[in-house]
Amino acid sequence: MTMQTHIKTFAPARPIWCAGCGDFAVQGVLEKSLHKMGIPPHKLMLLAGIGCSGTIQNNLPCYGYHALHGRVLPAAIGAKLANPDLTVIAAGGDGDGYAIGAGHLVHTFKSNPSIMYIVMNNNNYGLTKGQISPTSPTGYRDNAESGLDSILMGLSFPSATFLARGFSGNPEQLERLMEAALDHTESKKGFAFLEVLSPCVTYYDTHREWRASVYNIDEEEGYDPTDRGMAFQRSLQLREQGRIPIGRIFKGEHASLESLILNKTELPPAQHKVGRDGHREQYEKFIDSYMG
Amino acid sequence: MSSNNGRPILEDVNVIVAGQGGDGSLTVITMLAELLRTNGLNVYTERDVLSRIRGGHAAATMRAFTGDRYCIGSNINLMVALDEEAVERNARQLDSKSVVVYDDSGGPIPSVLPEGTKVYSAPFNRIAMRTMRRELYKNSIAFGVVGRLLGLEDETLRETFIKHFQRMGQVILEYNLEALGLGFHLADEMGIHEEEGLYKIKKTAPEKRLLITGNESVAFGFMVAGGRFFCGYPITPSSEVLETLQKWLPRCGGVARQTEDELAGINMAIGAALTGTRAMVATSGPGFSLMQEGVGHCGSGEIPLVIVDCQRSGPSTGMPTKPEQSDLNLMVFGGHGDFPRIVLTPGHPDDCFYLTVEATNLADKYQCPVFLAMDQALSQNIATVEPFNLDGVSAVPGKRVEASDIEKRGVYKRYEFTDDNISAFAAPGTPGGLSLVTGNEHNEWGLVSTDPVNRVKMMNKRMGKIEVAKKELPRGRHFGDPGAKIGFIGIGSLFGVILEAMEDLKKEGIETQYLQPRTIWPVLEDILAFIEKCSRVYVVELNAQAQLAHILIHQGADPGKIINILRYNGIPYRPAELVKSVLEAESGSKIKKGKKEAKLQ
Repeated sequence: MTMQTHIKTFAPARPIWCAGCGDFAVQGVLEKSLHKMGIPPHKLMLLAGIGCSGTIQNNLPCYGYHALHGRVLPAAIGAKLANPDLTVIAAGGDGDGYAIGAGHLVHTFKSNPSIMYIVMNNNNYGLTKGQISPTSPTGYRDNAESGLDSILMGLSFPSATFLARGFSGNPEQLERLMEAALDHTESKKGFAFLEVLSPCVTYYDTHREWRASVYNIDEEEGYDPTDRGMAFQRSLQLREQGRIPIGRIFKGEHASLESLILNKTELPPAQHKVGRDGHREQYEKFIDSYMG
Repeated sequence: MSSNNGRPILEDVNVIVAGQGGDGSLTVITMLAELLRTNGLNVYTERDVLSRIRGGHAAATMRAFTGDRYCIGSNINLMVALDEEAVERNARQLDSKSVVVYDDSGGPIPSVLPEGTKVYSAPFNRIAMRTMRRELYKNSIAFGVVGRLLGLEDETLRETFIKHFQRMGQVILEYNLEALGLGFHLADEMGIHEEEGLYKIKKTAPEKRLLITGNESVAFGFMVAGGRFFCGYPITPSSEVLETLQKWLPRCGGVARQTEDELAGINMAIGAALTGTRAMVATSGPGFSLMQEGVGHCGSGEIPLVIVDCQRSGPSTGMPTKPEQSDLNLMVFGGHGDFPRIVLTPGHPDDCFYLTVEATNLADKYQCPVFLAMDQALSQNIATVEPFNLDGVSAVPGKRVEASDIEKRGVYKRYEFTDDNISAFAAPGTPGGLSLVTGNEHNEWGLVSTDPVNRVKMMNKRMGKIEVAKKELPRGRHFGDPGAKIGFIGIGSLFGVILEAMEDLKKEGIETQYLQPRTIWPVLEDILAFIEKCSRVYVVELNAQAQLAHILIHQGADPGKIINILRYNGIPYRPAELVKSVLEAESGSKIKKGKKEAKLQ
């Protein structure tokens, strides 16, 4: 894809996931979508959280970053605002995104930066051996609480622009959703949120259960993803019926964060040449303003 | 005021305006400072407030002077007290020559004043209520009296009002001018006529000086050093760094972002730093505690970041508006695991500017966290400083590689082992520079590794950067008699206090010298050599545990030579108080070597 293929950099690692893990499907679909969209590895910044899913950046050629637990979204936003020319993808699990990092998800829905966020949801903490996660249903390992639905949460933000859920057991649809999400961020429309139901074969194998309970909303006649009220109502109804909606659940319009805050007459922050940035006039103005 | 011929020329005056929060003390002091500055004087102002918007005791102090002063003086010459509490709390700063203007609306002045203090009483509050129907005009009335006392002309005072209040609308301006007129009338009744004040102001053209706080100077230093990404979360006393950068950084194409919390703040700055953008965060104790995980991550992942800690009284929420230097341990030793870091300690707003430029360059060069240890007084007090010399500083790029360099090398390793332990950085977007950045232990490629040989080599590489950096880290500034037996060490806002205490000690016949450290981690040889050559060194600190002294002892300073002077009551030191502490220690009566002084004035 680039001229520099002869240059030796890190050799992508082999995934550490258990055979049958849903994350393989996610990686496969991601690689395919990146290729299809023509995004060269050097333009890709792939940031991952902590957990099984948080190793995906090691497995493909990219500028990869392994964030602190729960902090992948702020780091991804920082990278995007500093250099909006990069394709910025954040990835992580349900513990990383909905427990320790939940506050940042709320604020990313609110600020709408043009980054993609893939949450590989397996309803438990796989890497630490199966503890209850924010999406674990009542009864899993004596879980007394109900699981949360991140898409219902996203729907409550006026600034939400892309909410989708895929299933590793339906790679064709996942591919469509992944491409749509990438297209959304590449065309600077804002935050593309993609939750993927990605079963953990070792500690909580939900594969069969999910196969039976997913409901493909893309195929529902009359479903309008631009209708927020309908999206909310159908998601709730399906949940109550024990079904999990998958597909492009919501599509909205809102200015992206970078379009709102970056100075359009200037190069983005990362492209300023240190020591040769030509802002002497502003510096002098600053000094003058304190002379009184 | 009987004699007006023998009025001294105003060369050094300390004025305090004290009352309840919302009384407008700060407004009066700010206007006076601006006014005196246009008359050619230098100024320094300090505020003493509670962490609330209205109510509670609040005071603002200003010193106007000729020459160089870097703190509020030992004695208040003129006090405007808007209630009893204001007198009670601040009487300790008065002496027999002080003049007090007192609002006696709430009762007569408490009998706590030193003998000889001259008092002018008037019911400012009642007059404001009676004439203007709003008590808030009392400070404008008082301004008329204070202005006269300082020897300022009525017309000059009026002009200041017009300049200050015009932007708030014609109605507000007119009311305030009316209140000022009432103040002049009141002054006449008290016998303080125009040109009959305490001082004569020798009008000179103002020198080109900035009136600026440490926080604003830090913000500016970051900008000038090519800093283009800042994150902050509102917290006293660091918020002005955020506010200043929100105003100025976008004009230079940068981003200053208020995040949802300090965790997001440091991690968003890290995200920007990963793209090769110079990044900084500013916070205070509680926020800094939240950032700890990110700090260690920068150390492990070799991510350049400047972290400004505007220290306030701790622990926990502590006393948010009071100065302290009690996060030094957290800056020097905080975070889990071993990682390299640099801690710089500016001592005055101009030093804040130059050291922030340094900090930004150093972070980029050594790819590690670099701290600026501020304190509330240094952060928020306003000082006149010489205009920053833009030609005297430069933004020096770190070790970077572009696509063409990588093409030539044929290989790129983000964490390559090198002679100076610094690995070249390829910014994301550079063809050929693909890399992995992680806080996990990793090999040269950035791939996770627990190999013991690699582990030791990688740890040594990271820690080794500091050995290389030592050669160029900012040295301390030396003041006083290099042969003096008695030494001082103190950082932050104590800089000005120590300098002035030295002058006063000299008058008592005691020669001293002072090393103002500007890097406290790593501990450089200049500090140790200074301690070595003195027979005893007073390490003055705003904390209870002698944190700085312990850091120095930890790095080889002779504990037998160190005498701790510690303060943690939230009140800024005045030079005379420091002199008193030193004299007591010198007489050997109250303090033994190495024993903490916990007694508070």
